Amino acid sequence: MPQYALVIDLNTCVGCHACATNCKEWNTQASFGPLSDFDPYGRNPKGVWYNRIMTYEMGEFPDTQVFHLPKSCLHCQDAPCVPVCPTGASYKREQDGIVLVNYDDCIGCKLCSWACPYGCREFDEADKVMKKCTLCIDRIYDESLPPEHRKPACVLTCPAKARFFGDIEDPNSEAYRMIKERNGFVLFPDMGTNPANHYLPRTETKVHVDEHLLEAENPLFLEVVRRHYKGG
Amino acid sequence: MHPPLSLIWFFLTAGISIGLFNFTYFMEFLTLFGKDTALPKHMVLISNVISLVLIGLGAIGASFHLGHKLRAWKAIKRFHTSWLSREAVFSGAYGFTLLIFALLRFFDHTGFWYHFFGIITFILGWLSAFSTAMIYASNRFVLEWNTSISVLYYLNMYLMLGSSAFLALTYFYRKEFVGTYIFLTFLFLALGLAFRLAFNIRQFYIKRPTINEALNLPHNRPIRVLDTGTTTDNYCTEEFYYKKGKELLPSILPLAYILTFIVPLFFVLYMWITGRVDYNFIKFTFLFIVVGSALERWCFFVEGNHVQNLFYGLYPEEGYTLRKGYMERKKTKISYR
Repeated sequence: MPQYALVIDLNTCVGCHACATNCKEWNTQASFGPLSDFDPYGRNPKGVWYNRIMTYEMGEFPDTQVFHLPKSCLHCQDAPCVPVCPTGASYKREQDGIVLVNYDDCIGCKLCSWACPYGCREFDEADKVMKKCTLCIDRIYDESLPPEHRKPACVLTCPAKARFFGDIEDPNSEAYRMIKERNGFVLFPDMGTNPANHYLPRTETKVHVDEHLLEAENPLFLEVVRRHYKGG
Repeated sequence: MHPPLSLIWFFLTAGISIGLFNFTYFMEFLTLFGKDTALPKHMVLISNVISLVLIGLGAIGASFHLGHKLRAWKAIKRFHTSWLSREAVFSGAYGFTLLIFALLRFFDHTGFWYHFFGIITFILGWLSAFSTAMIYASNRFVLEWNTSISVLYYLNMYLMLGSSAFLALTYFYRKEFVGTYIFLTFLFLALGLAFRLAFNIRQFYIKRPTINEALNLPHNRPIRVLDTGTTTDNYCTEEFYYKKGKELLPSILPLAYILTFIVPLFFVLYMWITGRVDYNFIKFTFLFIVVGSALERWCFFVEGNHVQNLFYGLYPEEGYTLRKGYMERKKTKISYR
């Protein structure tokens, strides 16, 4: 069974939020209706986003790595949000594995968001329905678009080319190859959801502090080195 | 988790309704075995009207947490997989059969159909309660709720509310059963206290996932959230993390224990030991249980920690525990030449 998904290279992602912004732009103007914004210029601006980028720091100073994690619906192969939906509004398409919400059936009970371990569903207070990433289903099947544009908006806009899209079950697809060649991994593997979206790991970077740097003239740097390496 | 007031309201109304009907019909059911437990018509009708009004008010109140209330009938579509569907269908059917039962009693039909609808209503009421409890207990991403204690405790709360409400009715209509219902109220209160304590104690022993597991990264590397990509709260942080509630929980939880269990247990034990049955004690037992249960449900929601909070750094800290297949946390060594 085909399973369309995104593959995101954490080594390349620079956390510029272009994917999130373009996702918001496309999905607000296209067939799935507006993603509402509330108090956009006020003190507490809020809105519905399909895609959010989080930034984490791993390791201990000075051996740290900062990485950015774009997170949208992972289109799980065993999606826990689907069976809990009381009206069948949440469903997983057999032909491509994309998980969608039928807004005409959604009663806005929010139970699907309770059932998602990734926090990838957002309730739209204006439309009173649950919304989530559609993998730009209205783009990828649009035959009026040139074939190279039949990809999710986030993939097309990524300036670092950190995103790939394709059928992760098809050995000929770019997404499949990326996962195999670069050891793609998924979020929360223990949860039994079998997410379709994969991430490509960061390559380890080692920072070596040379002896001559310890004798640097910058007194601030010297202070840092003394405190963390020599316990001074 | 953010406590939805409409769901707390549904718990109280449905709990009193189903619990009260449970004991009302139980007394009627015993007459089938030749026991002298038949209740006066007036008492059955008062009890049924209270149950009907409460389940109706509960359904109306619970609908406030739905975005589109009029589409609720579609809930029947996923009856085979969704506990929310089952709850909606069973509670609706419970209200309907309860109405028929009350009408049969009103027209003095106390034969086969009376007991048939009594048994059906009894079963539907408990199926509805069980389905509601399972909505919480089957959520494997809120580890505090994901236990059979949640179900046992939830059902026991219905019995607590029901027996204390029924105690008030027996005081007026079948005084000879007051002693029995004082004992039953004591029993369900004591069980409720035990289940609640077990629920809280279990929280100390849950193996919680770490942010490393969420991000599928090495378990010997500390990870910090630097930025969550938004300057304000969003749906996920508001729905799954209730900051104000977390701050108030240490004060509200003891209060919930005192009002739900300690004070009512004192009243019930006093009546049981001294034999002085005072309607004021009965009334206050019920009122304390209702107010306490509302606070207890509020705590139940606030105590729940959804695993998605890990991505926002809002999950309870436990360090890095040794789990099967994972490395124990080690002090990261900083190496330079």
